[in-house]
Amino acid sequence: MQISYKPGSGLLYSLNPLVKGAMTFAAIIFFSVNSLGLWAMAALIVAFLIICRLSRVALLDVILSIRRIALLLLIVGVIQGFGTTGFSLLMAAEAMLRILGVFLVAGVYVTISSQSELTFFWEACFRPLSLFGFPAREFALIMVIAVRFFPVILGEIERIRMAQTARGAKLEGGGLLASAASLMPLMIPTLTQAVIRAGELAQAMEARGYRVSAQRTRYQRFRFGLSDFLAMLVPIMLFYYLLHPFFMAQ
Amino acid sequence: MNNGITEIKLQNLTVKYGDATLLENLCGGFKRGQVNLIVGRAGSGKSTLLRTLAGFHKEFSGTVMAEERSFNPSGNISLVFQNPEALFFNGTVGEEVGYALKMRGLPVEEIEQTSVKWLQQWGLTPERCWNRHPLELSGGEKRRLALAACTVFLPPVVLLDEPLAGLDMRGQRSLAAMLAAMAADHIVIVVTHEPELLLAHSSSLLYLHSGSGQWFTPDAFLREALNNNSFFPLPDWYARALSPYRDTAVLPQIDAISVHRFVSECR
Amino acid sequence: MIVFDQVAFWYKEKSETSFELKEVSFSLQKGLINGIIGGNGSGKSTVARLIAGLLPVLSGALTVNGESPYQQLHHSGFLAGLIFQNPENQIVGTTVEEDLAFGLENLGLSHDEMHCRIIETAARFGLTSLLRQPVTSLSGGQKQLLCIASVMVMEPAWVIFDEPTSHLDPWSRLEFWKIIDEFVHHHDLGVVIVSQLAEDLTRFEKILGFKEGRLLFNGSGEEFRSTGDDIHAHFNYPESWKYERLQLTADQQKIT
Repeated sequence: MQISYKPGSGLLYSLNPLVKGAMTFAAIIFFSVNSLGLWAMAALIVAFLIICRLSRVALLDVILSIRRIALLLLIVGVIQGFGTTGFSLLMAAEAMLRILGVFLVAGVYVTISSQSELTFFWEACFRPLSLFGFPAREFALIMVIAVRFFPVILGEIERIRMAQTARGAKLEGGGLLASAASLMPLMIPTLTQAVIRAGELAQAMEARGYRVSAQRTRYQRFRFGLSDFLAMLVPIMLFYYLLHPFFMAQ
Repeated sequence: MNNGITEIKLQNLTVKYGDATLLENLCGGFKRGQVNLIVGRAGSGKSTLLRTLAGFHKEFSGTVMAEERSFNPSGNISLVFQNPEALFFNGTVGEEVGYALKMRGLPVEEIEQTSVKWLQQWGLTPERCWNRHPLELSGGEKRRLALAACTVFLPPVVLLDEPLAGLDMRGQRSLAAMLAAMAADHIVIVVTHEPELLLAHSSSLLYLHSGSGQWFTPDAFLREALNNNSFFPLPDWYARALSPYRDTAVLPQIDAISVHRFVSECR
Repeated sequence: MIVFDQVAFWYKEKSETSFELKEVSFSLQKGLINGIIGGNGSGKSTVARLIAGLLPVLSGALTVNGESPYQQLHHSGFLAGLIFQNPENQIVGTTVEEDLAFGLENLGLSHDEMHCRIIETAARFGLTSLLRQPVTSLSGGQKQLLCIASVMVMEPAWVIFDEPTSHLDPWSRLEFWKIIDEFVHHHDLGVVIVSQLAEDLTRFEKILGFKEGRLLFNGSGEEFRSTGDDIHAHFNYPESWKYERLQLTADQQKIT
């Protein structure tokens, strides 16, 4: 199962894309650098999941996808667990929980944001750069389409992998160099397919009147409501928590 | 050629994909010596069945048996997809064909000999294309190269997904004949939207429809399709060629190839 | 009406082997199923892209309803929509609604206008209940329908289909031809279908046959059928016509 946009109508869904993006951004930074300790973080994650549940976010795929990063979690846990005083289970769990938190927040963000919402947010982020002639809207659209094509390409790789292993290609095992070489059977057909797809998509977009220089209008209208103002408190609070030691020091 | 398996049997095969049950309690078998056909609408579970047989789709219950033993797909099966571009990754046609043999650790001279022989068998001239890039070949040649590269190691079971799609009639006909010839040495299982081209070489057809599979003889399949266009829309010309025989007890083996031969002889 | 008057086109690196469309003249009318046939490298896809305005005419004149499609497409206009064969590679949005809106956003329409058109088109194609659905959850047939709807929502005068049937199952092919018949004979829409499949030929009411950048045949479906082997040899000839011929000769033999 892939993490992808699943439509819904709960509170989290109805937020302005800017707020959604800001909250996600703040939460990811928060989980990466906070120093709250194991229990507070676990409580926060549980609280986050409960809020998602109340907003009827389809959590199943996100949670099932955790097994994809299981290996990463384990490695980080082992490395971080070894401190000056030998292996500490608490340290290991804390490090793993950080990654888990980041993963869950990002996964939920992708689940509740449609393409136009993602484009809207990314564009807003890049807009300051457009002062220097940077094509913000186009760049945002490219990023979003890349994200959309991700599951398609993954499916393709899966198919190619099947056919190649059937021919006897060894896709796992061996040293670093050997495993890099063993990826060749997958890489070339995948890239060939990706280039073909990209070319066709570009033509299809152009045929529907898309031009880089064009004045495009926007179909979706995003309002900034009361709930958005309240929700903005979340990133503000998170950033306050992260930054206040610096202010205190002054 | 000896690659052991002459029949694989399905016993109560139930295939799931997430929450959805794609196929339920499928029983039956695929035999050597004929082309096994699988027909059904897009989304009827054809591809997932192929994946299951190949051992890549694990969400299933029931068993797949080969010669009274549980079937181990690893090394015994080959998959050929509709677009050959997705299969090629070697720099030359020669390497492409020989790859599967190289992976099995055969000596170089033997690989080359077998590859040359195999290219010829699939109607490609080795002298002309040996050093060319696989993607430089024409559409029909690419398809045949894909088949050659996927069968050179003599897998007992070969699964083909839409091998005839996108070729012109002439290409389809010659490929159909090649597939029929291949069936002597392999269990050939073909998923296709053009069963009429292969029916003459087939004695069983699996029809997948909303979660269940039904086995037909070519005769019964054609009769059903003639009476009910939504069961399977046969191409216009083929239905017309068959319709005079609709009420006879046994339908004549009118396959597309013999109709065509008849037509071209008359011209 | 589409008019090609001595239209030529070549790609940048003009060499002896590269493809070239050589001074082609013809016209296509609404109300007929127009078919363009030919093998690989015949020029049929180039013609389709010229009509859609994706490629500029390098010499000669091409007009669609009296206007140049290339100029129109580059100035927020829209004359002819182009639909490709693989739906997976032409859906831009993540939801049905977003994909329908994509082309309209490019046209620079107001929100209300877009909303009206999307609701109307969705109803026409039976996509209303799917509007908020992610495109990944659609079936193959629904994706194909969405691709057609996404172009139709832009209200083009002409629609060009590039090899639409080659990847469909036999059931979906029947449904596709039903839609085309509806478009051509009950709505005021010009339709051009580019195809390699011999069986599609029997559905065409007007046929343009290309070979190596030249227009070899220009006439009605009936004319194509009765023309000689010197033309037929260059194209895929439908099996059903062969069979009918066979029956005819068999009947004649019976009589004599």
